[in-house]
Amino acid sequence: MKNMFRAAAAAAVTALALTACGGASSTDPSNVSPTGEIKAREISWLLSRPADGAVINIMKKLADDYAKDHPGFELNLITTPDRPSYIQKLETLAAANKLPELFDTDATPFAQQLAKQGKMVDAEKLLESLDIYDNYRPGALDYQRFDDGSLYMIPFQFELEFIWYNKALLEKAGVAVPTSLDDIPAMCTALRSAGITPIAIDGQDQWPLERYIAYQPFREAGPEFVQKLKKGEAKFSDPAGQKTLNWMAELGKAKCFQDGFSAQGYSDAQNQFTSGQAAMYNIGTWELPSLATDKLDPAVRNDIDFFTLPTTAGSVTAANEFVSPSGIGMAVNATTYDPLVSDFLKFALEKYPAEYAATGALSPTTDVETVVPANATPLYQKALDQADGLGSKQAMPWDTQLDPTTNGRLQQELVLLVQGNITPEQFTETMDKAIAQNAPKFFK
Amino acid sequence: MQSNRMLPNRSRTSVLVFLLPPLLLYGAAVLFPILQSLFLSFFSWNGISDMEFVGVDNYVRMFVADDIFWRAFLNALVYLAICLVLQLGGALVVASLLTSLRRGRELIKTLYLLPAVISTVAIAFLFVRIYSLEPVGLLNQLFHWMGLGSLERPWLSDVNTVLAAVSAPEGWRFTGLYMLIIYAALLAVPKELEEAAVLDGASRWTLFTKIRFPYIRPVWITTTIMATTYGLRGFDIPYLMTNGGPGQSSELLTTYMYKTAFTSTDFGYASTISVFIVVECLVAVGLILFLLKRKADA
Repeated sequence: MKNMFRAAAAAAVTALALTACGGASSTDPSNVSPTGEIKAREISWLLSRPADGAVINIMKKLADDYAKDHPGFELNLITTPDRPSYIQKLETLAAANKLPELFDTDATPFAQQLAKQGKMVDAEKLLESLDIYDNYRPGALDYQRFDDGSLYMIPFQFELEFIWYNKALLEKAGVAVPTSLDDIPAMCTALRSAGITPIAIDGQDQWPLERYIAYQPFREAGPEFVQKLKKGEAKFSDPAGQKTLNWMAELGKAKCFQDGFSAQGYSDAQNQFTSGQAAMYNIGTWELPSLATDKLDPAVRNDIDFFTLPTTAGSVTAANEFVSPSGIGMAVNATTYDPLVSDFLKFALEKYPAEYAATGALSPTTDVETVVPANATPLYQKALDQADGLGSKQAMPWDTQLDPTTNGRLQQELVLLVQGNITPEQFTETMDKAIAQNAPKFFK
Repeated sequence: MQSNRMLPNRSRTSVLVFLLPPLLLYGAAVLFPILQSLFLSFFSWNGISDMEFVGVDNYVRMFVADDIFWRAFLNALVYLAICLVLQLGGALVVASLLTSLRRGRELIKTLYLLPAVISTVAIAFLFVRIYSLEPVGLLNQLFHWMGLGSLERPWLSDVNTVLAAVSAPEGWRFTGLYMLIIYAALLAVPKELEEAAVLDGASRWTLFTKIRFPYIRPVWITTTIMATTYGLRGFDIPYLMTNGGPGQSSELLTTYMYKTAFTSTDFGYASTISVFIVVECLVAVGLILFLLKRKADA
């Protein structure tokens, strides 16, 4: 009966299944050097990256190069940039046992279950066998690791998240760059009374607001807080939890975010900042091409700067430790892993960093130097330089940490908290209950 | 005529032969998934683990322990009510006015039908813009110009207005479609009946309640059932505009079910909710038939 349902589920995703080769043979996930003849065939990579972005363009080119020596080889890239849709696609394919050779995933509880079931190749062993493990930035790999330290995803990016700000607007409101997270609510009040929107935020996608709830606990209790929280070992009723909830409520009270932010999208928020209407904007280095080049509106170009995540009094993490994600990682399907996949990865991963750095982006490895584009403003290099002095800890985005049900509820309740529709007490009660209910299923 | 003589002999088998493929298709596409959901609703299954039989646990959880479920259910009823008023009420008014119009009927029909052919995604984005406050959207701008500044608000972020705000586009969208159906039915009302009533001194209202409406009642029942079942299954516009938020203010049973299945990967519980939606639709259709039939008999 179960097989019948799996078959039916598979039928429901036929369109995708057609492009995804579900091999039946099971292999050992830790066997990273399969022996045998390299037989060229078409392989697929199910990914969630911008369709015309650097990663896809480079991998396409590398695949074409590889195909010259291996006639019959083809890399089929199936991208779904919209993350929630992508996750649904991935989970449906996983349920139907139809995952392609390569697929993108964050270090989520769901991915960890796949790894536990032996469906993903051990990436640490894989990178070591290719002799490129040591090239990677420790932070880039750590971002991909599960809590137990195991590594099953390979990073293709390295990004730093900053709070970008408009110097002229801060001056107009008579406020300085905050030295502590706790300065921000008062700063918002001052900006508001000067008629300026303090922070532009993309509320529709929900992860941007979820970043904010992660900041205080990361300073107060370190990266371990969310690792414990998601399992129910720490609670929102703990001091670090209460501190962040009160802070979020204060941000709301001080009207830090634009009115009606919950229905505004990514480009709405960015436009508000780049058109000089909003004073601050929290985003990563993937937006350097629009924030630190001559593409930026000349009217604000010289006013834009950034600061890194402020610390707090008694902070247990340092100023050079903040959110530095290496993007969604690529997992290698263990059941379809064969000499061809192995050989292609060896070819591609060795050549990728140089190509990627040439596009002006930060490579997840340290063996190449990023090429600053010709139209860059001085801010571009300043942003890249931050990558060299990072501390050993990093703030993990909570949406990759919590189980999906708790995460969904948290995102919903967080909007209510910031809008002042619920109190921190109500939030604490709802979310501690939600975690107690949902976490055990995912973190057995 | 040859065919007339042949049909009665062959009709039974030939009708069956022609009916069977669509019936099979219907069974495979509609009945099978419903039964499959019913089956799955007794299991706990996240898609990649082994399925675990849990009996009626999912149903107990739904009815007793899940606050979001009841919230979503009530929201769905409000959503339905707004859609019905806009779709059926609006359609009836516009169709009635159309029949008394001498010129420009085609143009007005086309204009009203237009939203039904625009893609849902476009409609959702359009209305997100219309409702926006910062930057100011059309609706708030209108209130501003009319001097109703106190009504300006972020319609999709305010927990008190968001449900109505996501229901309105859905209602607006299909008003034209139901208007067409009702208009066609109104055209079929025999003119001599209406003229006789007018000669007897019937007012326009009496004409409508005693002659026109009873005449279009069968069509009215069909459109009500269509609009109700569509309303109960409404999903795309709320999902695209607010994703159920802020909080659970615009969460419908359908969006909640979808999230439970594809975000939480709780396929067993999502199936339980979908079984509830099927039952809810059946009950609604039964109620409509019962109420409208009883009125007709009275």
